[in-house]
Amino acid sequence: MIESQRHSYHLVDPSPWPISGSLGALATTVGGVMYMHSFQGGATLLSLGLIFLLYTMFVWWRDVLRESTLEGHHTKVVQLGPRYGFILFIVSEVMFFFAFFRASSHSSLAPTVEIGGIWPPKGIGVLDPWEIPFLNTLIPLSSGAAVTWAHHAILAGKEKRAVYALVATVLLALVFTGFQGMEYYQAPSTISDSIYGSTFFLATGFHGFHVIIGTLFSIICGIRQYLGHLTKEHHVGFEAAAWYWHFVDVVRLFPFVSIYWWGGI
Amino acid sequence: MAEIELKTAPADFRFPTTNQTRHCFTRYIEFHRCVAAKGEESGDCGMFAKYYRSLCPGEWVEKWNEQRENGTFPGPL
Repeated sequence: MIESQRHSYHLVDPSPWPISGSLGALATTVGGVMYMHSFQGGATLLSLGLIFLLYTMFVWWRDVLRESTLEGHHTKVVQLGPRYGFILFIVSEVMFFFAFFRASSHSSLAPTVEIGGIWPPKGIGVLDPWEIPFLNTLIPLSSGAAVTWAHHAILAGKEKRAVYALVATVLLALVFTGFQGMEYYQAPSTISDSIYGSTFFLATGFHGFHVIIGTLFSIICGIRQYLGHLTKEHHVGFEAAAWYWHFVDVVRLFPFVSIYWWGGI
Repeated sequence: MAEIELKTAPADFRFPTTNQTRHCFTRYIEFHRCVAAKGEESGDCGMFAKYYRSLCPGEWVEKWNEQRENGTFPGPL
């Protein structure tokens, strides 16, 4: 098939996944709005939409893996597409987080008279930044180092070592999530506690969500590495996971400094 | 007819903006901190009192007084 085409590009077979993803997104958004305004059937539509979206992601990416790893369609030129695309996706995520950090700075640098002109507002219980938050900043940093270790192992052809390194990456990520969950459970304030709670939990919450996505991505890379999908010249999927992981890691540094450390003083 | 002297709180370089909300709030807090430090009857706090009464809308002062009585005033008194 690929031998008979006289160009190095990939003309994809027709696929139902783009439309099914769109329908899933539609169901999720409409269901979400319905649920939030207490319309009947909102919760059901929201859940159905989310399940459908997750299913679409699973089958779409499964097809990409089949086309690339198993059918060999991903030549160097084709690889550029996902590479640039993923970088641009990360840029869009940076913009997303920028909004939440800006919201945090807006509220905390010049606190309004309604909350007494002080930050943190009176009565808000603030976490000691040098306890769990600090540990939970070092853990993603180490996890980032582990994923770099995995990358070097892949490049050197040391396949087993790469699996171990990815396992270390994922374990550290899970420990982080565990600690963060515990911290949320024991936190003295909630998301409803004034603008402090809103900005704090939105920024850290979305960060945590992205950590979970990054962890899943790394687990999949670990499985693929174990199954032998990744070679030392061709491992775009792994590189994407590593870039995403470093991005999530850097994003953690910003709230640690500005929200946990500076915001609690 | 005697000249009526009109004056208000002096310009404060800490609040150079047109929006003087923070100026009003700060003077209100300064007055109450002064009273807490020097006592209710002391005359030293009169200056701060005049400043905040000139700068702040009456509704805000009433609301803040109520909050102080309830113990829900958010400022650093």
